[in-house]
Amino acid sequence: MECVVQGIIETQHVEALEILLQGLCGVHRERLRIHELCLKSGPNLGLVASEVRLLCDLEQSEPTWTVRQVGSAMKGAGAEQISVLVRTAVESKMSKNALRLFYALGYKLDHELLRVGFAFHFQRGAQITVTVSSINKMLKLHSTDEAVPVTPGIQLVEVTALASSENYSEVVAAVSSFCEYLAPLLHLSKPGVSTGVVPTAAAAAASLMSDGGGATL
Amino acid sequence: MPIKWVLHWQPNPGTTVNTQILTEVSQCAEGINGVKEGRWKATLSFYKPMVREQANASEFPRDFLGISLQEQPNKYYFVIRGQRLIVEAESTIQTIMEKLQSYKTRVALNFEGFQYQLGDFQLRVGKVVPIHSENLRGIVMEMEYLPISSWEKSHQIMGEFFDIWREALSKRSLPGHFVHIEPNFAEYGLLDEYSSQHTAAQYASIMAQMIATAQSQSAQAARN
Repeated sequence: MECVVQGIIETQHVEALEILLQGLCGVHRERLRIHELCLKSGPNLGLVASEVRLLCDLEQSEPTWTVRQVGSAMKGAGAEQISVLVRTAVESKMSKNALRLFYALGYKLDHELLRVGFAFHFQRGAQITVTVSSINKMLKLHSTDEAVPVTPGIQLVEVTALASSENYSEVVAAVSSFCEYLAPLLHLSKPGVSTGVVPTAAAAAASLMSDGGGATL
Repeated sequence: MPIKWVLHWQPNPGTTVNTQILTEVSQCAEGINGVKEGRWKATLSFYKPMVREQANASEFPRDFLGISLQEQPNKYYFVIRGQRLIVEAESTIQTIMEKLQSYKTRVALNFEGFQYQLGDFQLRVGKVVPIHSENLRGIVMEMEYLPISSWEKSHQIMGEFFDIWREALSKRSLPGHFVHIEPNFAEYGLLDEYSSQHTAAQYASIMAQMIATAQSQSAQAARN
């Protein structure tokens, strides 16, 4: 299982966000460059339509491949009350011919994109990952060198944490409390619930940039 | 990693495998001073597509296998032999396959038995049985040579060891023999340096061979 929230930020404030994250996490950022291919089952395959994502990590000297399957979100009154989405997600690293396998099995490429940005991985009540990335589309099939932003000037921020059915409520609490620290710069909510950019972002960014992110918690 | 040959028992025409043969083969391994070391196991699953209209099943691969090997407990191998495709994944891929509900296991077979050490060689002799059954479907043998990891360089010594093994086994006058089929690894994109993907390719090959033998025998039985 994983807990996830998303938000957006204007590219001009990303540097301030990075300073804030650096201060909060105490670790260095990692560069992120991921080619993501969304595959869907062909019309006749499977009792229900299914979808997998192949993630190719282009930051590695030899690109590595991971297949990721995201299941349905947790439902019920309890799930609605919390501000974090809890869903099943399973990943498996694969050899570089993974795409050929899924094509052979009857999966079709639905769309592909390139995420470029950075990530922080750290422990704060849970193992949390924050990614800040611009989403790019390819003008030609698989041409990651010729990608252009889908939403110029806007970047996606995603906070995820691994959880299990036993500890997810603690993980949700850890993620929620972490998100509060980011609130002056951006608002984070369940994926699909768009909340836009926050009006205080410019002022918060200016403040962060002026004091060099020395704020400690 | 050390190279290995995966071999299967080819019964003489008109005969089938039985546990007596397996016992004798195991005794033969001990007879040439093999030291029994412990159990080993591999599992192979045939997948079939879950299709909405049966008529269209032909557009999906019919020879889609999943293999788990004791030598790589955290990995899982997919083989589509017809397309010469081998994919290595972490074993969590099995959970993903279940969740996708696009393919399901048609038959799953266990390859299990004992391991014997003979100097630099390791022999693993085992039975092929469906999961949840003791119905013997075949006999399989892994022949591993620890010092060498190059397929090409190991060929001579493996051939010589196999000759010794065959000679030792021939004294027992069993109704069949072990067969070594060498898949064309290059077609699968595999190099000379041995890996578990080579093992998976060999399992896929012997499986195809065992199925072909069983089918020709049942066709023959039908004619008689």
